[in-house]
Amino acid sequence: MIKISNVIKTYGEKRALDSLSLDIKEGSIFGLLGVNGAGKSTLLSILNGLVEIDHGDIEVFGFDINYHIKEIKKISSIIPQSLAFYENLSVKENLDFFASIQKADKTALNTAIEINSLGELLDQRASTLSGGQKRRLNIAIGLLNNPKVIYFDEPTVGVDPKSRNEILDSIKSYKDLGITVVYTSHYMAEIERICDEVAIINDGKLVEQDTLENLLSNKVSDKISIEIIYSESVDALGLNMSDPSTIQTKENDLFEIVNTLNNNKIAIKNIRYGSSNLEKHFLDITEVDNA
Amino acid sequence: MLKAMIKKEFILVLRDKHALLALFVLPAIFILIMSVAMREQFSKDTLEFSLYVEDLDKTQISKDIISSIKKDKSFDITPSKDGASFVITIPKSYSDDTEKKINILVADSIKSDQIEIFKSILSQHILDIRFESIANSLEELSSDAAESISSLDTSSENLYTLKYNESKSIPNSTQQSVPAWIVFGMFFIIIPMSTIYVNERKQNTLSRLNSMDISLLSMMMSKSIPYVMINQVQVWIMLAVGVFLVPLFDTPALEINGSVLALVILSLALSVAAIGVSTVIAVSASSTEQATTIGGIINILLGAIGGVMVPKFTMPDAMQKFAEISPMSWGLDGFLDIFLKGAGIGTIIGDIMLLFIFGIVLLIISMIVLQTRINRGL
Repeated sequence: MIKISNVIKTYGEKRALDSLSLDIKEGSIFGLLGVNGAGKSTLLSILNGLVEIDHGDIEVFGFDINYHIKEIKKISSIIPQSLAFYENLSVKENLDFFASIQKADKTALNTAIEINSLGELLDQRASTLSGGQKRRLNIAIGLLNNPKVIYFDEPTVGVDPKSRNEILDSIKSYKDLGITVVYTSHYMAEIERICDEVAIINDGKLVEQDTLENLLSNKVSDKISIEIIYSESVDALGLNMSDPSTIQTKENDLFEIVNTLNNNKIAIKNIRYGSSNLEKHFLDITEVDNA
Repeated sequence: MLKAMIKKEFILVLRDKHALLALFVLPAIFILIMSVAMREQFSKDTLEFSLYVEDLDKTQISKDIISSIKKDKSFDITPSKDGASFVITIPKSYSDDTEKKINILVADSIKSDQIEIFKSILSQHILDIRFESIANSLEELSSDAAESISSLDTSSENLYTLKYNESKSIPNSTQQSVPAWIVFGMFFIIIPMSTIYVNERKQNTLSRLNSMDISLLSMMMSKSIPYVMINQVQVWIMLAVGVFLVPLFDTPALEINGSVLALVILSLALSVAAIGVSTVIAVSASSTEQATTIGGIINILLGAIGGVMVPKFTMPDAMQKFAEISPMSWGLDGFLDIFLKGAGIGTIIGDIMLLFIFGIVLLIISMIVLQTRINRGL
């Protein structure tokens, strides 16, 4: 369990984290959402002991970050967005190096190779790997210390769809190994696909934290999504369309819009509160927060 | 852990072909080219000094000295003082009074390096005649002693050099080029060091290592140790070039007269200084391009000031004093003392200490800079 309470971190005059509190359940895949500069990277740096907090408390699996950072580093691992390994070393040399400095055992090394399908690439120079293979090596290095919690900082940036699927599947498998995953990404579909719980932070503050299911059905505003079967006649109606088959409206206007659609013989598939997906919800909620 | 980090650093450097070129091939080529190219410049045979000799003593000794000077091709004896670069006056009673000295008047246009070379050649002639005179005098009292002095006279080339070295010594082209380009080459580690450092920082490998609880001190040590070893290999390869390769080009071979232990310790001290400079640039630069450009400029500046590009003894006095600010000058002085004066550790301890302190101070500054950058998220 990771417990973050009233954490404040300031850089100069800018408050990167502003009394942020979060609870992350052990064994869960936890999504961390926020626009650029929201404070995600600062939080990950703090959780990995790279940056100190100005105020507040953080407890990682029972260890207080202010007093037991060494213990926390031993059970944590960060997968940075950039490819943090040596391009001029082979895959095996990279894994051996990072395993040696962490005194990792052979089982951990083999597990990292297996989960990330690197067995056939061991002798290959890292610089010659494809984008997806490099990402997998980047992730494998993070598994070498048998971590209890792994922090992923947008690990699929610049990765082709096939490799992205493989990476997401491998991350889901960490849950079966009992590893807690904290995942940040700009791809909301990825968060929807793998995360159990999501926190949205904006300007260093927690905006919302809930299970994915609750977030998507949450009536955070009076916004309503009407899904229709697309017809050309809808274009002439001047409605607020988020995509060709979804109309965004408010509760007050619902009756009138349904009538208009009926009169124009446009079939309605579904009417729901809130946003139809996480991306819409994220945009709604950050919009409300910034208003 | 340290072993793994050192091994990694070695593999990375050895796979960097450009770095190897800069560290080993370039200085070797410089040594070869500069030794051969400057051979004539440093050779005393090609120097000619216009000289007027005034003999107030008018004894056999003074006549012998003048005769000896006239036979030397380095001197062009002029009939009058006008236009002569040097005027030497042998004072009255010079032969009888050992306290009396020959006076040398130097024309304004003569540079300090020429004066040094002139003094070196002249003293050789004076000493030759003095020894001969002593031997002749002694012969009347003891033929054994005279023979002993006489043999000292004929085999005393080293003695002259040694005596002259107490003031200042002039190296030959190899003695100048080898240490100069060794020192310069050692500071070239800035290229691989900064490339690896900046890449590690930019790709977050450094922060990954930091998140793995690898201390800054371990990181610094693991990066420094391989370069100390590389520097030592550089030194011995360059010395081998001076001893074995340079003579193949009809140029004097390098002679190592001093203590090998002093050579090793001086090389280590130079290595610490070179690593200090390289590290402070590597941790401060924001890109490899910036690091290699700044590093290259600093290297050339330190070399130019420190007597690598232009030998220090050819510089004006003020410039020679200014040269003392360059760590390359400290290293070069140490090497020259070992090669020319046969110096041991005691003689060059000042240079060694300066280099060690300079390097360690820069390494401490580097650690502070790096820690600050890590705290700010690199």
